[in-house]
Amino acid sequence: MSDQEVLRIDHLSISFGGLKALDDLSFGIFDREIFGLIGPNGAGKTTVFNCVTQFYRPDAGDVFLTVDQSRLSGHDRQAVDASGQARLNLVGRPVHSIIRLGLVRTFQNVEVVKELSLLDNVLVGGHVDFKATMAEQLLRLPRARREEKLYRDKAMSVLEFLGVDHLAGQLAGGQPYGVLKKLEMARTLMAEPRLIILDEPAAGLNDTETEDLSQTIRQIRDNYDCAVWLVEHDMRLVMSVCERICAISFGKFLALGTPSEIQGNKVVQEAYLGEQE
Amino acid sequence: MSTSTVTRTASPLNQLVKALRNAHVQFIVFGALLCLLPFLAKAGLMRNSTLSTLAFVLIYAIIALGLNLLLGYSGLISLGTAGFVGLGAYLAAYFQDDLGLGFWAALLAALVIPTFIGLLVGFVSLRVRSIYLAIASLCIAEILLKTFEQLDWFTHGTAGKQSRFPVLFGFQTDRSTVFIIIVVALVLGMMLIHNTVHGQLGRALHTMRSSEVAAQAMGVNVLKYKLFAFSMATLYAGLGGALYLFFLRSSYPSTWNLFMSLNIIAMVVVGGLRSIFGTVAGAFVIFAVPELVLKKLPVIGDVAGLPYIFSGLLIVLVIMFFPNGLKGLADLVVRPFRRRGQAPTPAPSQPETEEVAPA
Repeated sequence: MSDQEVLRIDHLSISFGGLKALDDLSFGIFDREIFGLIGPNGAGKTTVFNCVTQFYRPDAGDVFLTVDQSRLSGHDRQAVDASGQARLNLVGRPVHSIIRLGLVRTFQNVEVVKELSLLDNVLVGGHVDFKATMAEQLLRLPRARREEKLYRDKAMSVLEFLGVDHLAGQLAGGQPYGVLKKLEMARTLMAEPRLIILDEPAAGLNDTETEDLSQTIRQIRDNYDCAVWLVEHDMRLVMSVCERICAISFGKFLALGTPSEIQGNKVVQEAYLGEQE
Repeated sequence: MSTSTVTRTASPLNQLVKALRNAHVQFIVFGALLCLLPFLAKAGLMRNSTLSTLAFVLIYAIIALGLNLLLGYSGLISLGTAGFVGLGAYLAAYFQDDLGLGFWAALLAALVIPTFIGLLVGFVSLRVRSIYLAIASLCIAEILLKTFEQLDWFTHGTAGKQSRFPVLFGFQTDRSTVFIIIVVALVLGMMLIHNTVHGQLGRALHTMRSSEVAAQAMGVNVLKYKLFAFSMATLYAGLGGALYLFFLRSSYPSTWNLFMSLNIIAMVVVGGLRSIFGTVAGAFVIFAVPELVLKKLPVIGDVAGLPYIFSGLLIVLVIMFFPNGLKGLADLVVRPFRRRGQAPTPAPSQPETEEVAPA
């Protein structure tokens, strides 16, 4: 963890038909931090994700992402500061442009292509890295073939890192849930992100798999030098793996702190943990 | 594969088998075999009418390949294929006969103009989904059909446009040469589709079909890829139309109706979504089987609209029992012969990457 923020959520608000799903929410995530977002059902956790990744347009507020110079193109280059980075506001950008900036997410109900092999699914995560034009790919010109080979090897190494490389050639359809979850993570790693958002990664996993998952999350952070932000129901996972946790309820900020601080926080206990006991 | 030792020890037969695993080699061999058919017909071993039927099978296969990219890979539905095929046919006739610009200009016009119109149409209609897209594409086909009927200077209206065999490199073609042109176009079309679906483009289309949100999160510009798939489908439709005209030498508006579009969808579904050879097989089953077999059967052979009943029944049967169509059926037959441990459907693009030379 460093003290530089990779993501800053600033006074974020959104409402759906009069219901305030997010109400003036602000917090930040540090570089290389494992960060957790918790809250009771309907607290707006996934809505935060969707506002950050621009699937939803927030009514008010900003989302700032710190981006390396090398990822920037065109107009955004002008925002680069002395440290070779830029702090970009994500609000209003097209959804498909976000991954290029180093922010990538997984989905609550794994969204992989059943008809493709694991390897090809991981390669989807490298989509924006391909420089070959459509014509080059249609005619299979040298650059297209070179890139395909290069990223295929990279995808293989990502699968190896997550310990599922022996399944690389098999179709994703019909694989156990645990493998699909890993596959989704592999796909995000393919993009070499600076921040990974995991939407309920433990959902549907058994106890052993969940333990394995907290191990994996730490390894991802250490090997890929990125921050990991998870939204999670499984308290044991959140408390064991996260360095800081933000708790929200009804779209409002409750508390932010280390796992033990959050566990000891009266407001959080009332809103969330209290309910469980 | 830089394994020189393997090539040295491999017997010619092994090498042949290995070469045949390459999809492009398969397409070329397939094309070479098809090129023998006109000679069979000339030698009197095959009826000329059978050759004609097979030519139409191949033309439909080309059109269906384009639609398979749209329907199979991208998960978008279009009921307007026939309109674009007709447009290709009329453009080819107009450029070849009315403007006298020759084969290549006619072919180019039949490729470029429908693709361009397809792009324009797609830009508007691809913002709606599923059933609404089907309705929008149907409307466009109907507009084109009415245009073919009314635009006399271009289409000669309901009287029909007459054309002739093209002149290619100063050489007057005939039925056999046009058949070979169709085969060449089909082989090139198969190769292009193969390249499209095995690689970044194909993965983007797959992801888009499977989940639009996931595709967007992975950086796929969904509208761009929908437009790509749509314009590829119209490109193949235009090509099919031009070949149709070169082979049949006439075009009537009534040909380019909804039934043709539905038949092409039937070819894709029966052949197997996302299968190249399956699509060709689908075209054969849907078009040639009624022509060559059913019509010759006693009693039912005289039933009007028999081909439609046949393709309708096939669609129902395939959807209920063989969702992967003829391709799935072939897999079922081949599976016991595969080496153990091999995935039932080999990972796409696995064989190709093996030949990629590290440049």
